[in-house]
Amino acid sequence: MGETASLLATVFLETISFWWVIIPTIFLGLIVGGIPGFSAANTIIILMPLTLAMDLQTGLIFMVSLYCAARMGAGIPAILVNIPGTAGAAATPLDGYPMTKQGRGQQALAISFVASSLGGLLTTMIALAAMPILARVGFYMHSVEMIVVMLFGISLIASIAAQDMLKGLIAGFSGLMLGAIGTDVVYATPRGTMGFLELYDGVPLIPALVGLFAVSEAFIIIEKRVILTKQGQKAMENPSWAATFEGVKDALSRWTHIGWTSVIGLVIGVIPGAGASIASFVAYQQSRTFSKTPEKYGTGHIEGLVAPESANNGVTSGTLVPLLVLGIPGGATAAIMLVVMQYHGVSFGPSLFQQEPEVGYGMFMAMAVSYLLMILTIIPLSRYMSRVTTVPTIYLAPMIISFTLVGAFVPREYMFDMYLALAFGVIGYIARRTGYHVAAILIGVILGPLLETYFLRALKKSEGDMMVLFSSTLGNILWVALVVSLVLPAVLDWRRKKRELLSS
Amino acid sequence: MAHDPNRAPRHLGADLVIPILAVVFTLYFFSTIWNSPWTAQVSAFSIGGVLLFICLLFFIKVTGQLRRGEGRLTFTSLVNFEDIRSGRVALIGTTIGFCVLIDTLGFTLTTFLFLWLSMAILGAFKRLGRVTITSAILAFGGWAVFILAFETRFPRGWFEQTMQTVLSNG
Repeated sequence: MGETASLLATVFLETISFWWVIIPTIFLGLIVGGIPGFSAANTIIILMPLTLAMDLQTGLIFMVSLYCAARMGAGIPAILVNIPGTAGAAATPLDGYPMTKQGRGQQALAISFVASSLGGLLTTMIALAAMPILARVGFYMHSVEMIVVMLFGISLIASIAAQDMLKGLIAGFSGLMLGAIGTDVVYATPRGTMGFLELYDGVPLIPALVGLFAVSEAFIIIEKRVILTKQGQKAMENPSWAATFEGVKDALSRWTHIGWTSVIGLVIGVIPGAGASIASFVAYQQSRTFSKTPEKYGTGHIEGLVAPESANNGVTSGTLVPLLVLGIPGGATAAIMLVVMQYHGVSFGPSLFQQEPEVGYGMFMAMAVSYLLMILTIIPLSRYMSRVTTVPTIYLAPMIISFTLVGAFVPREYMFDMYLALAFGVIGYIARRTGYHVAAILIGVILGPLLETYFLRALKKSEGDMMVLFSSTLGNILWVALVVSLVLPAVLDWRRKKRELLSS
Repeated sequence: MAHDPNRAPRHLGADLVIPILAVVFTLYFFSTIWNSPWTAQVSAFSIGGVLLFICLLFFIKVTGQLRRGEGRLTFTSLVNFEDIRSGRVALIGTTIGFCVLIDTLGFTLTTFLFLWLSMAILGAFKRLGRVTITSAILAFGGWAVFILAFETRFPRGWFEQTMQTVLSNG
């Protein structure tokens, strides 16, 4: 124990001496995370020759810092202009953007930065301490359990649809149908592809995200001179440091909320393939379920911003656990880290922490140090970043369209993806103008293929018996938790209304 | 619930666009898997079946609202004269033009043309000097960051090839 503590202290001090790598990488990560299509994974691929040329420690610190900063960066445009940089930040604008429109963009950014940093820092510590236990989570999560986790994500549709249940469900299930486009996983039969070869792999996520959020938003915002409301414009006339400190205070006072929602992110991050998008939506839905004021969610509620931001940063530490302990990458970025580590001859599995503990612990320490430095370097910038909201929409809208549409092209380099983003933009525009929530469509597109894969796996195993869905103990516990999380808000809401009725 | 006669009628035609698109797409999807193995059908039929049922409920709800006079089959909330006046229709046109031209003209030139034309239209062709400078800075800045610095494989055209030749020759 004493030996491990002394090793951790040495690794921490050694990692912090790499501040000259971490700080520039943080700014690079914020930029690439903020532009749809330029995820951390893409940037690490682009800079792969550079990473391989570095020594192992510098390369890993660079990749880990970039990964953490990109995750945080994705929340910045989500809050300021309603355009998430990655799918992992798709739940952030639900409450972040209404705050911006009210002229509280500076506070929202500060809240997001504190929630992301603390969530990331906390889950890194937990992951470090509970690595052997967490690594086993992946073993217990079979197809049935994964179906329930997906359904937790889909149940957010019900939350979003609180205003008009039918419209919310139509949006969500339409997304699931769009997510089913592509060849089927067993016989590769093309389904719903309209003859486009580019859709055989399914609907790519970045064009869907760009179209539904960015392009449609650009078509909407031109109605006003600036995106702020009149009250918001007044608030932004005299930006002050006080607004930043107010945001920091708001976030710190909700430290327990940051804690438990980031743990949701950590646990979901440990499951290979689940990812930040599911984690942030599940955290948002759970936060709303257990809130005393669920009706405030979607109107610029602080807890509605804290939950997805701390959860998607909790995922970053979670994805490292199966990578280091089992050699199974939990996501695209982790897969690239695996390639770089293999290039340097690092072995994975439990032996990693015996033979090269400075590498295993070093990655978590790099993450912790990055989050610490992010708190210090980024929070002061929120005052200046929030000025984006005062840019007239005649300049902002064309900028959003051109740079995000090209962002849709980048991941696969198909011109088709730009047209696809435009088509999603038109769908998103119609949806926004007629009261269908674009986030519900996106959840469907994200979860559709995953749900089908796990559903088919479960049915294959049971030879078509649907009762397989209730055949595992952990699965049944999750089913009960799912039902409780759906029923509980309705019961609490009914009790609150009854109390109000009695008191009046 | 009693209908308030003072309340403006809702544009229910616009509300029907997404459900109609959803029904059409679901039926098309079913047609593509009709003769497929069960593994290709089971999930789509389950999800699609639920979607068709929800759309049916929505159509019944809208029919009820129409019969009670709470709304009209109009599309004003979706398409109206304001869309032309605000430049939205023109912006959709320039966006389609951007997608079509970028493969031929390359990222930088197309971005400049798109930004200039869109900003000019949205700004009612006022302050053209500022619009030109802003468009040029953004397009050139995008080239410098994404193509020159990051070597991202954006669509390349005359400008990118010329700059590459100029830079490689020192």
